[in-house]
Amino acid sequence: MLPGIALFTFFLWVPLLQSVRMSFYRTVNIELVEFVGLQNYISIFGRQEFQQALRNTFVYTGWSLLIGFLVPIFLALVIGETLRGRGFFRTAAYLPNILPGLAAMILFSRFFSAEPTGVINIIMSWIDRGPFTFLTETNMVIPIIVLVSTWRGAGATALIYMAGLAGINPELYEAATIDGAGIFRRIRHITIPAIFNLGSTLLILQIIAVFQIMYEPMVLTAGGPDNASLSLMLYMWNLAFSGVMDMGRASAVAVITALILLCFTALYSFVNKRRTEWE
Amino acid sequence: MKKWFAFLALLCVALFLTACGDGGGTQGSQGPTAPGGELPSEEVLYEIADIAVDVVNPYLTATITLGNWPPDTAPAAELALFDGFRDIMRRQFPNVTVVPAFFSYTLTSYLPMALGGTAPNLFQPPFTDPQLLINQGLVADVTDALAEFGLLEKFSPAYVDLLGHDGRLFGLPRDGYVLGMHINVDLFREAGLVDEEGLPLIPTTLQEVAEKGRIIREETGAAGLVFPASETFGGWLFTNIAWNFGATGEHAMQYQDANGNWRANFTSPPMVEALYFMRALRWDYDILNADATTTDWAGSHNILGTGRAAMNFAANDAVAEPTAGRGLPVDSFALVPFPAGPVNAYALTGGTAFMFAPQTTHDQAIAILHFLEIIGVLPVITDDTVAAMRAGAISARDRGVPVLPPIPAWADEDFIAQQRAIANEFSNVDMRLFNDFFDSLVDGRVALRGEEPMFTQQMYRDLTAAIQRIITRENADVFTALQQAEDRFQEFLDDMVNR
Repeated sequence: MLPGIALFTFFLWVPLLQSVRMSFYRTVNIELVEFVGLQNYISIFGRQEFQQALRNTFVYTGWSLLIGFLVPIFLALVIGETLRGRGFFRTAAYLPNILPGLAAMILFSRFFSAEPTGVINIIMSWIDRGPFTFLTETNMVIPIIVLVSTWRGAGATALIYMAGLAGINPELYEAATIDGAGIFRRIRHITIPAIFNLGSTLLILQIIAVFQIMYEPMVLTAGGPDNASLSLMLYMWNLAFSGVMDMGRASAVAVITALILLCFTALYSFVNKRRTEWE
Repeated sequence: MKKWFAFLALLCVALFLTACGDGGGTQGSQGPTAPGGELPSEEVLYEIADIAVDVVNPYLTATITLGNWPPDTAPAAELALFDGFRDIMRRQFPNVTVVPAFFSYTLTSYLPMALGGTAPNLFQPPFTDPQLLINQGLVADVTDALAEFGLLEKFSPAYVDLLGHDGRLFGLPRDGYVLGMHINVDLFREAGLVDEEGLPLIPTTLQEVAEKGRIIREETGAAGLVFPASETFGGWLFTNIAWNFGATGEHAMQYQDANGNWRANFTSPPMVEALYFMRALRWDYDILNADATTTDWAGSHNILGTGRAAMNFAANDAVAEPTAGRGLPVDSFALVPFPAGPVNAYALTGGTAFMFAPQTTHDQAIAILHFLEIIGVLPVITDDTVAAMRAGAISARDRGVPVLPPIPAWADEDFIAQQRAIANEFSNVDMRLFNDFFDSLVDGRVALRGEEPMFTQQMYRDLTAAIQRIITRENADVFTALQQAEDRFQEFLDDMVNR
């Protein structure tokens, strides 16, 4: 137990508490120079860039729920219903995950390039369409980034759902089939209730992950155009490492993000507890 | 069976991904082979062989880590040059160990290394960063080492301000740069924009950039101008454009008010006109590269070097990027003055410094200065330093880098004259494509101007956002975009300096 506590202390708790402490100080690189109370927080909340990053991060989350939450379930269900080559499809779904994240983003930056040499524009030129300027459209840039993240991460999540699906007693399906239930009714009355708790947990984990989205917009758009894809974490990184070195305010952004996520987690725990009580 | 199939599929993908890598490790183990397999130039080796290798100081003991060392995949001539320099250092100072570091400075990569004590002793930041690094305590004070080498009196006063604080110095200049315009001559020829001698008809004003850019777009399909409008690059270049529209003096984009507070001023008439000009480049003349908002500095050189754009606002210190770096032959490349605007003809000037990681000791600094002397970048003229400078010029020529006269970094006429003589001797370009750039600095056609004083990187970031809005939304309001950028930067100034 002692090694575990030591590791957690060194790698998790101390940096975490240091970051909270730093957010109350004026800093020179990582040195704490002067206690400023809540000044960093007040200053951050007043900045337009922070407000936009906060809005964008919620938009990221919304799109990821719309695109990213359902795709793995759909994948798991389709692969689960597949009779032949299930192993192949399971492997194929997971493959994008073995690509390093940055490499995947660089790959997609070429894919979505607005130049005629962009892969999608080449394909579109075959049917005399385009060229399209995907990553320069302020209203398209976040959905595209979410789409790319989903492409990379959906397979791994689908595997977890498949594990959940494997735990369902096959006799339930057999009984339902004998009673005349088709695929959609089996999914609705057996599968979905069985994976509901798993889905709830993965939902909150997904929100936590998407709230910390950073390298995807950093590589694909650098937060642009006109800050349209700037996320909270990217804004934090800009404050800390991109020409200002304002670690105090960067820590304040990190703490604000953590507090928002704590609220989400508390809400999830509350709803989950109430649901368990009802059941 | 299925498991085996899945395993084989994964193996195939892993092998495929490995094959897609650049193979750097394998190439490195085969020794100094250049792209295309060229051998090191014998001339380089000959010049280096001329440098004395007698022991200079057997007592100086230090291990020095030197950033910007050419990687194993660099051209053979460059590798041979640096290996030769290291060998000379080892013979002249037998107790000094040179450790090559392939680190190429960026602020974001340097910070964690400096804070963690792993930054190379020597690194090369642009002049935008020294004051930030000095104020944050992330560089070593090398005043005493510079004094021992007699370099203090050769410092230009402007560089003392850039690299010093409270009478102490934290680095030395490597070279200067002046912003101009890189030209892909082939695209000008293809568009018919050449005179009777076959030389490109270069735009001298911003308006001509727009007009000739449109002709190039129509005639060749390539972008007239590549404009990197991502991160902070757009704001950086836009600053020079705005100066030439008159955003100086009473319309300066930053100023101190009567109370000493710093004010952002992005909504002056010249700034608005300059952003309208950017708007016209995109929506009226349609000469910009399609990916402008995701194009960075390196990307812009890539686009020009590979013939996808004809013009790029860039400086003399980056001429290797589109040529040797991207394969554009030196006779298809020109460097011309930054185009004048309706009011002014300014060109941004800056440079690159040699700076020292915070853990660097006095002995390490001395050893590093000896190494810099050996490679011929200190204002010291001896047979050895001249041989090193000649070897450097030959190496550049052999790699396909235009060998050009330098922008002086030191106040030392003899050293400058020596640098120019060597550049002339090994020139590999048609100087008619470059003379205008260098002449304009002397005859006053272009006035040099340093960067704005306060938090320029943040200012560039905010201006870049305004540019991005204008070039991605046809109906975006120019004044509103500038107003929002000004508000953002003012908030920042109020937070950081007007407290």
